[in-house]
This record gives sequence, structure tokens and C-alpha cells, in this order.
Amino acid sequence: MLSAETVDVKFGVTYALSEATVEAHEAQVTGLIGPNGAGKTTLFNVITGLQAPTRGRVTIDGEDVTNLKPHIRARKRVARTFQRLEVFGSLTARENILVACEIRNQWDSTSEDPRTVADEILDRVGLREVGNQPVDAMPTGLARLVELGRALAIRPKLLLLDEPGSGLDSSETLGLGQLLTELAEDGMAILLVEHDVELVMRISKEIYVLDFGRVIAHGTPGEVKDNADVQAAYLGAEVPA
Amino acid sequence: MTAFLAYTVIGIATGCIYALTASGLVVTYTTSGIFNFAHGAIGMLMAFTYWQLTVQNGWPQWLALIAVLLVIAPALGALIQRTLMRRLYGASISTTLVITLGLLLAFIGVATVFWDPGEPRSLPEFFAGNRVKVFSIFVSYHQITMITVAVLVAVLLRLFLFRTRIGTAMRAVVDDPELASLNGAAPDRVAMVSWALGAALAGLAGILLAPLVSLDIILLTLLVINGYAAAMVGRLKSLPLTFAGGLALGLAEAHAIGNLPPNILNIAKPALPIFFLYAVLLALPQARLRVGRVVNTHRAPRVASLRESLVAGAGFVAVAAILASVLSPGDLFTAGQGIVFALIMLSLVLLTGYAGQVSLAQMTFVGVGAFAMGKFFGGGSFLGIIAATVLAGIAGAIAALPAIRLQGLYLALSTLAFAQGMSQVFFKNTNVFGFGGRLEVKRPDILGVSFRGDRAFFVLLCVTFALCGIGVLALRRGPFGRRLIAMRESPAACATLGLNLTMTKLAVFSLSSAMAGLAGAFYGGLRGQVGLNDFEMLQSLVLLLLVSVAGINTVTGALMGGLTFGLFPKIQRSLPGIPSLSFLGAGLGAVALGRNPNGWTSDVGPRIARLRKMLRPGDSGTQDGREPEPNVAPAPEAVSSAQR
Ligand SMILES: Nc1ncnc2c1ncn2[C@@H]1O[C@H](COP(=O)(O)OP(=O)(O)OP(=O)(O)O)[C@@H](O)[C@H]1O
Ligand SMILES: [Mg+2]
Repeated sequence: MLSAETVDVKFGVTYALSEATVEAHEAQVTGLIGPNGAGKTTLFNVITGLQAPTRGRVTIDGEDVTNLKPHIRARKRVARTFQRLEVFGSLTARENILVACEIRNQWDSTSEDPRTVADEILDRVGLREVGNQPVDAMPTGLARLVELGRALAIRPKLLLLDEPGSGLDSSETLGLGQLLTELAEDGMAILLVEHDVELVMRISKEIYVLDFGRVIAHGTPGEVKDNADVQAAYLGAEVPA
Repeated sequence: MTAFLAYTVIGIATGCIYALTASGLVVTYTTSGIFNFAHGAIGMLMAFTYWQLTVQNGWPQWLALIAVLLVIAPALGALIQRTLMRRLYGASISTTLVITLGLLLAFIGVATVFWDPGEPRSLPEFFAGNRVKVFSIFVSYHQITMITVAVLVAVLLRLFLFRTRIGTAMRAVVDDPELASLNGAAPDRVAMVSWALGAALAGLAGILLAPLVSLDIILLTLLVINGYAAAMVGRLKSLPLTFAGGLALGLAEAHAIGNLPPNILNIAKPALPIFFLYAVLLALPQARLRVGRVVNTHRAPRVASLRESLVAGAGFVAVAAILASVLSPGDLFTAGQGIVFALIMLSLVLLTGYAGQVSLAQMTFVGVGAFAMGKFFGGGSFLGIIAATVLAGIAGAIAALPAIRLQGLYLALSTLAFAQGMSQVFFKNTNVFGFGGRLEVKRPDILGVSFRGDRAFFVLLCVTFALCGIGVLALRRGPFGRRLIAMRESPAACATLGLNLTMTKLAVFSLSSAMAGLAGAFYGGLRGQVGLNDFEMLQSLVLLLLVSVAGINTVTGALMGGLTFGLFPKIQRSLPGIPSLSFLGAGLGAVALGRNPNGWTSDVGPRIARLRKMLRPGDSGTQDGREPEPNVAPAPEAVSSAQR
């Protein structure tokens, strides 16, 4: 589905990513973890076209998209959320999702009524109750769910989630894990960046570990957990127990 | 060969000034992320202060230079940073732009209070009369001074940036504004020093430039726009490239003067830097979409429903019809003028209020509309109105096109270049407005009904405004309006949903300028004729600022702003001591916007509600308790009483 191959991103003299190769496949959650500043968000920006890589390429369904504009890539059904929220703050939660549906209707031949779709999604991410609140007035955790709903509005085949769980309480996190698992079961490829490693371990089939822009480990949750490099990178941090 | 050399020297000397002023812009921009549109106005103020001290008060040059460049200018720059700019880090481009433009107009206003624009003044050249012969040409000492000073400044700037601690701190920001904006803006002291430095550079450029042109408030302020192009060459961050850009522009200009045939030159010369700016914008590479930058300062006003806006529109037209039959012709004209301005401001509600894009050329589109109305289909037909709308819409697309891929600031600069270019090349062309620069514009007949009479025309105007207001609100409630809001609040998110930002911006630009063109047809019809000075860029600024002050995201805001502006000529007559009241008023108002970015009409609704409660304490049950929404105002008379 997605492959980012030997991607370098250089800011000034430092490499935010260096020879990073990451793949995500249909119908599974792929975890992407790593300490702060490891380059996870930068990788998402490269995949969605918000950041041009210094080297390397990105392919989606086998097609090289490295030189395509962000909105063209999105039309290949790649959606994302943002770590630093990029919600449409003065619109309500429902309108955030609705406008995404309407944007999709511009480029996708579909007869679906955006309003119906928006309501469906609102239910799916569990925001029905607060649908008519402006997003600016919402707590971060809920605003992240709005971003998730908005991303779902373009019916993505590949979904990139940048720390969707931060700001959620434990029961909400459980709900999120459940939702992501369902989405993957329906065939979606999900690439999940999350500091809640426990959640990642639980729902991911494969995990990549980034550190200083490099992929230092890759494998099943079990393999990653036992990897010495990973434990070194996370030394002292909350992780793989 | 001699001529070539002579023009080269002139080119280098002027280029040095462009470089000086542009480097001031770059220094402040990179350390604070704010493009200082008031840069030229600061230069102008300093040149006048210098003139005051030397020519009027007889100070020796060296003392006046020290006072102006080392004390007054830096103090002014630092003051601006402390009181205004500090609070604007991370604010949206439409906010910072309106506030620095406010400073620009306010400074012009202040200058006209101190220095009567009617009085001719001139600043002598440095070492006037002295010149040396180099090879076969004469070079004046003033030119040598300009070049020496620029070289000196370049060297000193370099030493300052590389050898001093604060300079190094600034450079860290200058080298990588991206990173700096990630880590939050530069520390306060760095920003303050950079604003002080920027103001001093502006002053220096102003003082050196003033002797070459006349000491004219507007002229000096606008000449700095030429520096914008140089700053763009350095992409607002590289000082060496900025200097190179300044020199290139100066040389291109001088040699164009030397080589173009006079008939073309007359038209092209003043517009050359503008074309240069246009070209540089075209050549700029597409900037990355920034993630997580804009601070949302606007509180979203509630949008009126279709029923509400229809009722308000009908009420508005009814009141207009009554007013039309009671007002004196003079007052009717004033009110009509206000509604025309309101219509122009409505186009800005759509563009700036909703979509977050900025146009500094709205009056230019009005001019295009008035031109089309006057020239085509017999000068007073309904088809003329359509032509005005369509032609202005196309002009809007052209104005935006060079920078449509870029971010807001560049887009605004592109419209600025367009406005200046159109003034020079189009409106001043005798083929456009005819000889003497005045074009007659008739009022239309529509479906056999004549709207030539003052009263009928006023009602037609009000109906048009009401329809446009209802239309804009309907648009806002629909998918297109939602897309605009979404684009304003996060272009990056929109792009990752598959929205083509370029097309969306182009669409809203065209729509907004088409509406301005429609207003132009009425502007011409109301006055009977239009002239080349009616569509100056500065007028566009006043309009933009006033509607920002009145409330740029509501239809009420546009109406209030328009009526206020319509009243200005009347107020002006009673205040002869303040020659550019509209500049001063709009400017100071915009500067004060730092406090309430939604404009004062955002307070009107709640205030009326509070007032009502106070007046009828026991009665609140029958009033439905809802606050009246300030989306369409009841009537012009209510407005003027609210202003008293
Ligand atoms: N636009 C930029 N300019 C310069 N450096 C940048 C830029 N964006 C990111 N960086 C740097 O690149 C590195 C990787 O950042 P990135 O945000 O991708 O990390 P991350 O893994 O998402 O971290 P976190 O867990 O904190 O979100 C960091 O050192 C960061 O400072
Ligand atoms: Mg991150």
C-alpha cells in the first residue's frame, strides 16, 4: 500500500530522517514509535507531501508520488491527522467532518450525501453528543477525534495518525483502539504514531522504531519489545516492559 | 559609452537605496515574522524630521543625523515593537497586515498634521553642487554618499551580525526563520533591537532618497514599495541577495530610462519596480505549507439563517425606500456613497473575513468596474453592469495569479503591485479615462425602468447591497463558504483532504473582485463621472482597514464601515486642521484592532441586548431573550446615531 524508501530529510545540517524505510499494508495497523524528535511527524509530512524529502521516494499502491502535490496525494485516498492540531476551530465538529465530505465530493465520483456521511462518521468516532460545539471550545482529546473523523471523511485507504491518543482518558483510549482495529479489519492501512506504547503494542501487527531519524528496529510487537537497540533508545523512558 | 556609464552610476546609487530599505524590511521580518508595511512611512517621517531639524531649525547636518538615525528612529522602532508587534507573533497574515498598514496610514495622517502637504519643500543633496569627473562622466557627491553609505551599512551589518552577541542571536533567526518559528519567536530583546535597526535603516534610506525626489509625504512612503521587490529577491531572509536584488532593480530602472523610447518610458518608468516585483513573485518557488502556525484571533460570529437575512434585507430596503423620499439630495448622495463603500467592503468580508486572503487592490477592481460601465454598451446599460462585474472578476484573477501558489503575504504583495501597476499604466492612460482623465458614467435603465433619478438610483443601490448581503451569507452557510473558512483556518489540513488550494483561492479572489467591480458600476453611476485619482491603492487600504475595524466577518461590519467612510468627507469639512482624516482615522482604528480583532460591531449586538434589559427590567420574559445578531443592520439612521 504505502512504502517510503530510504527517505532523507535534512534541516540545515541535521538529519530529521536518514535512510528511513517504512511500509504500511492493507488491513493492518502498523505502529511507528520512537523518542521525541525521532522524525515521526517529519515522516508523515513527507508521505503527505507537506515536506519534500532531500532524498528517497514515496510510493502509494506502487505509484511513485514523491513529486505530487499534497492535494493530489490525498486524492489517492491518503488521509492524516496532525500532532499539533489543525482543526477548523471556528466550525463545529459536525461541520469539520461535513466540509471534508464536501471536499471529497469535489474530486471523488460519489453520490453519497455529505450530510448523511458526516452524521455516520460522527457516530462512528463517538462525537454525536458534541457535534454542534465549535471545535475551538473542545478539549484536545475530543478535537483529536474530530481530526480522525475528518480524515475518515475522504474514505481513506491509508490513514496516518499522529498521536491520536494523547489527551484521551483510559476508557476513551480503549474505544480508540477498538475503532482502529475495526477500521483495519475493514481493509484500511493504518500507520499509527503514538506515545502510548502499550496501545501500539496491543493493536499493531508490525512496528517500526525510529531514533534520530533512523529505523533502528522493525518487526512484530514481540520482536521489537525484545530488541536491545530499542531498549537502549528508550532507556529510562516509560517503555517496553 | 558615456551614457551607459552615467546610467550605471545612477542605477547603482538608486539600487543602493533600495537595498538599504529592503535590508531593513528583511531584518524586522526575519526576527519577528511580521512584514512591516509601515517601513516606508517610517522612512518618510524620518526624512521630514530631518528636514525640520536642518532646514527649518538650522541644526548642523551631523547633529540632525545623529538625532534622527541614532535616537529618534531606533526609539520609534523599539516603541512599535514593544507596544504593538510583540502581541502579534503567530497571528494570521490578515491581522499583522492590517495593523502594519494601519501604522502606515496613521503615520501619513500624522505627517500631514505637522507638515502641510500643500506647501512645497525640498531637502538639499549632501554636498550639494559638488561633483567629480570619473572617466568621462560626472558623479555627484550625493551619489557617492549614497553608495558609500550603502557599502558601509552592508559592512557594519555584517560585522554586527557576525561579531556581536545580539547579532549572532538575530542571525540564528535570520538563517532559519522556519526553525525560529518552531521554537517560538525570537526573544524580545532581539526583536526590539531588530525593529530599532529596521527603523534606522528606513530613516537612512528616506533621508538619502528625499533630495532626489520632492519631499512629498505620499511619494516618499510609496517609493519604498520599490524596496519590496529587492526584499523578495532575498526571499525575505538573505541579506546579500537582498542587496543584489536592490542593485539589480536600480540598474534595470536606470538603463530602462536610458534606452526606452520616451513614449513608452512615460508609461513604463513609474511601473518598472512594480513589474520587477511581479516578476520576482512569479519566480519564487512554492513555499511549503506551514503546519500549526496561525493563531485564531477571530471569534466566530453566528451566521444568520436564510429567513433572518431575507427579513433583514427586506427591512433594509424598506427603510432605504423611505429615506430616499425624505433625504435631501446632498444627504442622499452621502448615504449612497456609504452604501457603495459598504458594497466594496462586502467583497472584503468574503475575501478576507471568510477566506483569510488579503487584497490591497480592491479600489482598482472598482475602477475597472466603473470603466467597463462607462465605456461599454452605451455607458448606461444593464449589460454594462454585467461587463463591470465580469471584467473586474478577470482582473482579480490576474492580480492574484503570480502569487496564488504562495502564502498570504506574497498574495497581498502581488495585489499591491497590481494596484500600483494599474494606476500607472491603465488609469493614467488617456485612452482609458479620456483626455483630462475623467470618464462619464451613466446610470442604468433596467427592463425599461429608468434609474437615472437620485431617489430611484439610491433604492436600486440599496436593493443591490441587500441582495449581495443575502448572497454572501447564503454562500457562507453553504459548502463553498465552509471550504473558505476551512482554508482560512488550516490550509494544510485542507490540502491533505484533497482540496486544490490554488483553485479555491482563485475562485474567491475572482468572486470578490467581481463584487468590487459591481460596486464600481454604482460608484461611477452615483458620481456621474470617475477620474484617475479615485482608484489609488491608498484608498483600497483605507477601505480594508475601516472594514477590519468595523467587523470584517459580518455583513453588518461592511455596512457600518461603508457608512462611516461615506461620512468622512462631511466630517473632514468640519475638521480642516487634520487634512487626511480618513488616513488617520482608519490607521489609528486599525492599530487599536490589536485589542478586539472582530471589530466594534461585534460588540453592538450584546450591547443592545444589555441596554434593552436595563431599560425594561421586568419585561425580559416577553423579549425572547436572544441577543439580536449583528448581521444586517436595521437602517442607516440607526447607524449614524450609533456613531454619535
Ligand atoms: N521545519 C523544521 N525545521 C527544522 N527542523 C525541524 C523542522 N521540523 C522538525 N525539525 C526537527 O526534526 C527533528 C524531527 O522532528 P519530528 O517532529 O519529526 O519528531 P517526532 O518524532 O515527531 O517528535 P515528537 O515525538 O516530539 O512529536 C527534530 O529534531 C525537530 O527539531
Ligand atoms: Mg511528532
